[in-house]
Amino acid sequence: MANHSASQPAHVHHHFVDSEQQFDTAKLGMWVFLVNEILFFGGLFCAYIIFRAWYPELYTQAALQLDKTMGGINTIVLIFSSMTVAFAIRCAQLNNIKWLRWNLMFTILLACVFLVIKYFEYEHKLHLGIAPGSYWNPTPEILEVLDHPKANIFFSIYYIMTGIHGLHVVVGIGLMIWLYIRAGKGHFSSEYYTPVEITGLYWHLVDLIWIFLFPLLYLIE
Amino acid sequence: MNAQEHQGHHIASAQMLWTVGIGLFILTILTVTISSLGLPSPLDILAALTIAACKAYLVAAYFMGLKWDNKFNTILILGALAFFILMVSITLLDTMYRIEVVPSF
Repeated sequence: MANHSASQPAHVHHHFVDSEQQFDTAKLGMWVFLVNEILFFGGLFCAYIIFRAWYPELYTQAALQLDKTMGGINTIVLIFSSMTVAFAIRCAQLNNIKWLRWNLMFTILLACVFLVIKYFEYEHKLHLGIAPGSYWNPTPEILEVLDHPKANIFFSIYYIMTGIHGLHVVVGIGLMIWLYIRAGKGHFSSEYYTPVEITGLYWHLVDLIWIFLFPLLYLIE
Repeated sequence: MNAQEHQGHHIASAQMLWTVGIGLFILTILTVTISSLGLPSPLDILAALTIAACKAYLVAAYFMGLKWDNKFNTILILGALAFFILMVSITLLDTMYRIEVVPSF
């Protein structure tokens, strides 16, 4: 046992055969968690589909209240943040810690841009009384173009889906900051970058969810 | 899996990452453009979902590295997708064939 541990790099826990097995195990664990996440958002998409099947005309009317431009910019912001994370992993693999940190920083900044744009969207809607569920209290101007008895339901779905997605972005920012600090302490190298890799997987999933949320919520004519 | 692949992890080339990133960017522009054309009802949703599926494929295969990864991880994500479709189908079998929609909903 002592011999076995001594022959392995420091980051390998004693219950793993080698670094490679530890890496694959961590990755498998992350994928299982992502399956969980897909089914979690799946429940919300299911609610979306049921109400769209029941009230198709509601969706076409209500989606006009969403800002396509802001949603589109946010889509592009998330796409490029996914790319910077992919670059961060590449830099870790190439032992380029300086650029690993820069790419993590770009990702954090892009994620913050996403949240700021989201904040302006929410703020504008709430100002007009476009709130979810029983808080639905729109101004007369909104009621003129959106006079549907179930209008509040569309916005309940909108706020919950984008809100929980936004919460994932906040968690992602926290994880990226954690990685940034650890990278600064020299914890990562081409030999060991498992946290960067699996946080990357998480971040790509957040991007994947938004890839479906954007056309399904904003792009209904 | 050959010996060479087993020894090191796949390192994505910078050129490939940029290509995928720009590809996703173009597909986003495309989906916005198509949505403003005002296609008839089932076509617009189909177009939007097809483009979203292409983008999802690009992210999963290239950014998440499923293309080079252990195939078991691909099975997991496809399994999640299958169970999602099952959940939606069975729920719709109920909600679409009710004589009256539950009033409070």
